[in-house]
Amino acid sequence: MSIYPQQQAYSQPPFPHAYLPQPPSYALPSSSVYPVDPATFRSDYTARLAGLTDNSRLIIQGLSMYAHDFSRWGDVVTQCIEAHIRRVPPEIKLPAFYLIDALSKNVFDPYAGHFASIVVPLFLETYQHVDQQTRGKMEEMLLTWRTGSPNGRELFGVGPQVAIERGIWPSNPAHGSSHSVNAFVSKSQVLSELEFTLRQKERSLQNNPYDPVAQNHISILSQLRRLVEAGVSQEELAQILAQLRTLVRPTPTNAAPQPSIPKYTNAVSYPPSFTYHQTVVPAGASLPHAQYSQHHGLIYPNPAQQFQTSDGSRSSAMNAVVPSTAPPAISNISGLFEALVKAGVVSATSTSPGAGSTAQVQDDIQNQPRYVQGLSESKVEDTRAYRKALLAEDVKFSSAEISRHRPNIVHFLYDRMPVQCKQCGLRFSDTALGKKAMQEHLDMHFRQNRKASQSVGRGHSRTWFLGVEDWIHDMPYSSSDKDAGPSSRLSNTKAIAIAESAKRDAELRARFVVVPSGDEAKHVTCPICKEVFKSEFNEDDEEWIWRNALKIDDKIYHATCHAEALATSGSLTARLRQGFASSRSGTPDAPSLRATPPRLGKAESLPATSKTGVKRKVEGDIDSHSGSPPLKKVILASA
Amino acid sequence: MSASDPGSLNAKEWVLDPETEYRFELDPGNSLAVKVLKGHAEVFGAELADGKYYLFGHECKAAIFTWQGCTVEMRTPSTEYVSDETPMHAYANVHLALEKMRVRALSSHRGSPLPPGPDQEIDPEPPRVLVLGPENSGKTTVCKILTNYATRAGQGWTPMYVNTDPSEGGWTVPGTISAVPVTAPLGTASPANPLGSAATSAPTILRSNALLPLAYWYGHPEIKRNPLLMDRLIRNLGENVMERLDGNPQGRAAGIIVDTPSTFASSPSSTSTTTDHRQNLIRACVDAFRINVILVVGHEKLNVEMQRMYSNRMTVVKIPKSGGVVELDVQYRQRVHAQQLHTYFYGQVIAPPRGLSTTAVGDADFDVHLAPSSSVIPFGELSFLRIGEKSMAPTSALPIGATRTVNEMQPIPLDPASPGSGLLNAIVALLSPPVHLEEAERYDEEVLDLPVSGFLAVTSIDVPTRKLTILSPSPGTFAGRTAVIGSFEWSEP
Repeated sequence: MSIYPQQQAYSQPPFPHAYLPQPPSYALPSSSVYPVDPATFRSDYTARLAGLTDNSRLIIQGLSMYAHDFSRWGDVVTQCIEAHIRRVPPEIKLPAFYLIDALSKNVFDPYAGHFASIVVPLFLETYQHVDQQTRGKMEEMLLTWRTGSPNGRELFGVGPQVAIERGIWPSNPAHGSSHSVNAFVSKSQVLSELEFTLRQKERSLQNNPYDPVAQNHISILSQLRRLVEAGVSQEELAQILAQLRTLVRPTPTNAAPQPSIPKYTNAVSYPPSFTYHQTVVPAGASLPHAQYSQHHGLIYPNPAQQFQTSDGSRSSAMNAVVPSTAPPAISNISGLFEALVKAGVVSATSTSPGAGSTAQVQDDIQNQPRYVQGLSESKVEDTRAYRKALLAEDVKFSSAEISRHRPNIVHFLYDRMPVQCKQCGLRFSDTALGKKAMQEHLDMHFRQNRKASQSVGRGHSRTWFLGVEDWIHDMPYSSSDKDAGPSSRLSNTKAIAIAESAKRDAELRARFVVVPSGDEAKHVTCPICKEVFKSEFNEDDEEWIWRNALKIDDKIYHATCHAEALATSGSLTARLRQGFASSRSGTPDAPSLRATPPRLGKAESLPATSKTGVKRKVEGDIDSHSGSPPLKKVILASA
Repeated sequence: MSASDPGSLNAKEWVLDPETEYRFELDPGNSLAVKVLKGHAEVFGAELADGKYYLFGHECKAAIFTWQGCTVEMRTPSTEYVSDETPMHAYANVHLALEKMRVRALSSHRGSPLPPGPDQEIDPEPPRVLVLGPENSGKTTVCKILTNYATRAGQGWTPMYVNTDPSEGGWTVPGTISAVPVTAPLGTASPANPLGSAATSAPTILRSNALLPLAYWYGHPEIKRNPLLMDRLIRNLGENVMERLDGNPQGRAAGIIVDTPSTFASSPSSTSTTTDHRQNLIRACVDAFRINVILVVGHEKLNVEMQRMYSNRMTVVKIPKSGGVVELDVQYRQRVHAQQLHTYFYGQVIAPPRGLSTTAVGDADFDVHLAPSSSVIPFGELSFLRIGEKSMAPTSALPIGATRTVNEMQPIPLDPASPGSGLLNAIVALLSPPVHLEEAERYDEEVLDLPVSGFLAVTSIDVPTRKLTILSPSPGTFAGRTAVIGSFEWSEP
């Protein structure tokens, strides 16, 4: 902050304490601000996870996209989610499982691997605590995991899958020997499996809306569901279950070696839930390896392709798979169904109720990639449409006209925006833009609600008003303003400037010099502050290093001291600091850098990792990993 | 309503036809809970969320209006009736007319071509509206509805709501004039904060309960006390509002809505001097906020007067007054003032009506407990001023030829030790520190141009030890600061 002295005076509020109770909200960085180290990422991800309190597809998508972008810190994500599930009350655990589900299926590598190690106890413990309805949902999800991996096998591997299934259906025979029908079969279990198969069918119908076979399946399955709900004999249950399983199970052979999971790098835009499109593989067919890889070659590398063909004609990839599955399936289902019809239990004509709504959802999902890029465009369109509709209103601004005319106000206040926030009554349009605005709006509520739950018993007080300069330059909430809290709205430019300088400082501090071998015991002091460098062991590179250090002309300086000294010595500062910032990638011998006076030595740069327990020279000055907001510090410092 | 609900006994359902409103008045100590069961309903332009309890208390008088009809559940109001005669159509028309101005102004700012229309040639300016009207004509309600409708347009409008009525606390305390950018509909729960509430550190559901106003301290409920000061404060406020809007095109396009005191419209004993003050103050508003629309609420004579003075420069429109407006007496206004001051320091709690538990309501906005800070400071740490004399006769009442010994705008230092200081139990406005600290840039009347940081109450004065006890909304230091006294008093209940 030393390079922004003028900011300090400017940003000082009438009372420094005025804003303390409300931490400036960029403690939760928006997605545009990329965290630089795992610790920041961890706190950020944890904070975002806290927003997952209901089954919101948008939030789950957001979280999984974010995790996808940072899959290099997949272990952090995994830990965060695990901690989240263990911490939150039972009624909101399920959405986090959906997140696990989405991440594992869509991103798969590395997440499925990460989750595989924790999923069994997590699932079983959660299952113990949740209510019956949630259990049903969890069972449903569990069934999708049987074939959830990109190669159609168990999402988390056979071991975890079996362990979970045994845990929740103790009477259920071992996974893999699904044809044994002797054991007791519960109605709920059959229902969940039935439900699952039905969904699968509906999805495949979505891919191919004109497929009469699939339509037929769906109608039969939904009849079956009604039948089972109404109650059938134990024998029939077992029969239905067995049939269903043969229908769903891709590879029942345990003997077949687990094919190595292809590392499909998902470079294309994130396709939400594309795994749902992978379809049923013929029952009983043990696919050879070659076919597996062919599979992947066909389907996975470019899932987006599938989406582009939404007009009913399928991509060749889908063609290749789906039809092959159909024949055995239809014989199974209709065989079963016929038996039931003969017994007089079901009627032969029925329609499926759920298909339409599922199709709708699916349609939304397909629109996602377009949705993101089209947002700014749609904003303009939205504004234009509003303007057009409004200007078409014939309102004359005169006393007589105003009392006489019947305005079309209901359209503008209500009908245009059919979605209402349940908490404050604000309305949003149901366009992509409106949905985004709504999501941001709900995030705002969530933060407030969380604050309310955290601050029970803590005293609140009226805040002081802003000074006139701050008030004039305090920009109001805009639709893109994610941190819609009054405290966060101190001048944005200031906040950005401060954040930037903090970032630069963090970068300076991350610089280090490798201690020359033999010098470990030497007392080396910084020529500027005269403090002794403390060497520390860098575990990554297995070297002793001096942190926050620069080597210039064979002298070791504190990077921060050096930069400060430069700052006071002239206008080079900004340029140099920028230079440091851009040299983050760390090319030690860049001649251009050396040429810049004063010469920079061989100094490598670490990303600003936060090694807890490693004492830094300027520790406490800026605490990059604790997420302590820089602005607050400035306010404190200027107090 | 399920039979197991203990509150079902005193809950009553009302089916409201389209375009009718349910009006209610509450007695002291009574509260009302409203829930929309079916359809859509709004309170002064702010829509009620479906299925959520809204509480009203502290002698609130309000109306629940529905455009398309609705069913609402009510618990124990004091006076209630349904009316199908509302001026809402007129207000909606005004809103649409203002919206047209907004989109035109924004389009023109962005350089996008306007669709051809009959009023193509008019230079598109955002609406800057002055609302005038006599006492109990519902001016504030009109302003609120227009503001709320603008925020509900889904266009990201942030209209600037300006309150120039010092007898109305708005989002602060009485005695101020202030401006606030409104981002979300202003709720109605209690007359103590009819326009939402200034920001606190407490969590809030409604963004309109976390407003950041720019406020100037006038210090008195009546305009006639010091019209010159009022004039100056209005111009100060206008200058800063315009500066803010100039830096923000979207905010600028949303425009300004200025609420005014009823004395702008008429005064009972209309002498030539009061008419002068009145017209001067209206002119001050028109100039300061670059007004281009004047709305006159239900006052024929004033409408004609405004037409004559301003219709060559701007639109002057008379709009009908609502039949639901309640005549308010002086005692009621005083109770509201006391409640506003209490709310400023301690927050406000609206207890749900009998038969409804707090958890059923579960909204942080109806249960705001604030902890003010009480501190003992030595005399002299905080300097106290009074603007003009304590009891000042109007200039017109002075003998002919006589001049004042103390100017109306002159800041007079107060000594807390002197019995006549009037500081005990007074509400004082803590001014924000001067922007220019250089001695050369300072001037005598600077305190008139400084906005308020917050309000303090002097709760005790200990002359022997030369110490004061000050109640402040938040902790802070007052060394070197200046506070200005007015004529409002308040003591802990």
